[in-house]
Amino acid sequence: MVTVINSDYCKGCNLCVVTCPVKVYKEGDKPSSRGYFVPKIVNVEKCMDYKRKKGEKKKCELCVLVCPDQAISWSNE
Amino acid sequence: MKFFDLYRKDRWPHMFCPGCGIGTAMNCFFRAFAESRLNQDKTVFVSGIGCSGRIPSYILADSLHTTHGRPIAFAGGIKLANPELKVVVFTGDGDLGAIGGNHFINGCRRNIDLTVICINNYIYGMTGGQVSTTTPFGYYTSTTPYGNKEYPFDLSEVAVAAGANYVTRWTTYHVKSLTKSIKKALVKDGFSFVEIVSQCPTQFGRRNDMISARQVFEWLKKNSVLHKKAHTLVEDHLDLNLMGKITVGEFVERNREAYTKVIGVRK
Amino acid sequence: MQGNEACVEGALYVGCKFFAGYPITPATEITERMAWRMHEMGGVSIQLEDEIASIAAIIGASWTGTKAMTATSGPGFSLMQENLGYACMTETPIVIVNVQRGGPSTGQPTKASQGDVMQTRWGSHGDYETIVLAPNSVQEMFDLTIEAFNLSEKYRVPTIVLSDADIGHMRGKFTVSEDIKFIDRKYCTKHVEHNAFICDEGLVPEFPKFGQGHRVHITGLTHDVSGYPKTTDPEIHAKLVSRLVKKIRNHSNEISRTEILNPKADTILVTYGSPSNSVFEVLSENHNIGLFRLITLWPFPETEMKQIAKTAKHILVLEMNLGQIYWEVERIARQAGCQKVELFSKIGGEIHKPDEIIKRLKNEVL
Ligand SMILES: Cc1ncc(C[n+]2csc(CCOP(=O)(O)OP(=O)(O)O)c2C)c(N)n1
Ligand code: SF4
Ligand code: SF4
Ligand code: SF4
Repeated sequence: MVTVINSDYCKGCNLCVVTCPVKVYKEGDKPSSRGYFVPKIVNVEKCMDYKRKKGEKKKCELCVLVCPDQAISWSNE
Repeated sequence: MKFFDLYRKDRWPHMFCPGCGIGTAMNCFFRAFAESRLNQDKTVFVSGIGCSGRIPSYILADSLHTTHGRPIAFAGGIKLANPELKVVVFTGDGDLGAIGGNHFINGCRRNIDLTVICINNYIYGMTGGQVSTTTPFGYYTSTTPYGNKEYPFDLSEVAVAAGANYVTRWTTYHVKSLTKSIKKALVKDGFSFVEIVSQCPTQFGRRNDMISARQVFEWLKKNSVLHKKAHTLVEDHLDLNLMGKITVGEFVERNREAYTKVIGVRK
Repeated sequence: MQGNEACVEGALYVGCKFFAGYPITPATEITERMAWRMHEMGGVSIQLEDEIASIAAIIGASWTGTKAMTATSGPGFSLMQENLGYACMTETPIVIVNVQRGGPSTGQPTKASQGDVMQTRWGSHGDYETIVLAPNSVQEMFDLTIEAFNLSEKYRVPTIVLSDADIGHMRGKFTVSEDIKFIDRKYCTKHVEHNAFICDEGLVPEFPKFGQGHRVHITGLTHDVSGYPKTTDPEIHAKLVSRLVKKIRNHSNEISRTEILNPKADTILVTYGSPSNSVFEVLSENHNIGLFRLITLWPFPETEMKQIAKTAKHILVLEMNLGQIYWEVERIARQAGCQKVELFSKIGGEIHKPDEIIKRLKNEVL
């Protein structure tokens, strides 16, 4: 399972970068077609580690709840 | 329920600025609504004017975008005329605390069955950053170029004093607690009030040395203190709220009988 | 029974189930009587924190498919103006009773006036049309309140019963005629989500009441047929606002009602509301004078007025203000060929007495 950022929705606010407790996101360096700097997903495996470590059934999903533009989702890949 | 079962996907991406806390509030509202298993076809969303007032236009349900400051009055009419409907109000700090203050306190006093969610961003976002009734003392806005010389309202305490059944406040940083509290507010009888302290990077942040959404967001996080003694009033509230710290938590939970029950409106 | 009380009975008779108001002389009796009578009828009556909340609440109630009304006088009516425009823009059927008193400002709380005639038409900002009815008796307080509901339901437009302190407090009987019609708004039968404001040449869209799964968005912002805000496109705005105006103007002949006596007389008295009662007295003794009584003030019965003005030599408009409907009459009458159009004003709370009217006419015809 990987996290995906929908670049049609993302406005590059970087709140996901601030929020994620294990630094899965990193500030983007290239503008999207809409001119926003979409963050990069750099440590997706840490997200699962974090879940396991906390013994939770679900991922913490703080990023999904915080993202003001509903750009973050999960896909089974 | 998926996010776009409740929201109008055809209207995405939404109009709110990058990093605006309103989108976060919408996420938390979605979770709370989905978890409380309310029927979106039996729920009406009402709002006033302002950025926050645009939320219902994104919700896939019957919604009434009313005039500035008046959503609680409109919502009361809907609820009393058809008590079967759940009525949720979205409002802003200017909409609720300034022009709509009278409807707010009287709605709380009457304990009319509404869930009122206020996006408090400390400023008038939509009209370009003027001072609000909640702008902290000393902060800059387009109409307080020398710093705000007035003391702010604490909206949650106003609601407590005026008689609301349930009052809670969180910031957009506290997404989990906020979601829980919205859920509680949605199922609570009578007047429930959720204040969401939210970042408006465009108008508030920019004028107060916080140029990015991230900075305002971190400012909210840093300045929040948990109000541990839930269900009671903050004692020295003037020191705490907004002037230095943002108290968050649940402020009151009462069980006064809801207005529609008291007057016995027939369904 | 008082005029104000008859108004309450009329509202309940046509099925008004929601009332919200704020006490104000000389309309208070409506709010008071509603408080107990509405309860008996199984509806809701509430006294709110002000008139702004009152009109807001009845608009909200109307969206649940409930017939709703508020009652006030000048100061409260002024406060309602913003939401009156909102009701026009969102095409919400509501009835507002304005029992007029002397203005401007707090003015003369207990005295009758007709100072709000133009305010009912132009009081809110922007272009719009409302329907305004002017009762002149206890019977008409009952009948026209019913008519106001019917018209407001039919055209999805706020309708105003423009009474005054004298009519509101007048005592008398009323009878309930057997052929009273009840009109309900046309409700949407199909799911309309994205077509909430689609309509045929009647120009009145079907009503998607809340709670039926229509999922409509209703806003006071300029919107297209979907109901979504579209505030910058000039065409969408022009289309919407023209329709709101046309749906009333195009039906003006169906809506407007007048009472006309001696239409071929050289001298015609134009009147409405309280002063018309004096005019009836004048007419009973002077058969060479004609009467043009407006029962509907807005939309103004232009066709009938033109007809009368074609043969009239002298038109005298009686109003309890310094000239409001007069300008409308003058404009139309002159176009139709009557050059002598005069105003007989009375303010301060007294109505035109029959002998004053006769004196005023003396030099002219008698
Ligand atoms: C009667 C009236 N006065 C003023 C305005 C202009 N106006 C629109 S939004 C707004 C303030 C909104 O501030 P707030 O309620 O805090 O909402 P925000 O935009 O910050 O979410 C004002 C003054 C209006 N629409 N109507
Ligand atoms: S929080 Fe959402 S909108 Fe903001 S940068 Fe991250 S993905 Fe993009
Ligand atoms: S779910 Fe939690 S841990 Fe995983 S990416 Fe989002 S914020 Fe980070
Ligand atoms: S102006 Fe402020 S409140 Fe309005 S959308 Fe932008 S950031 Fe949000």
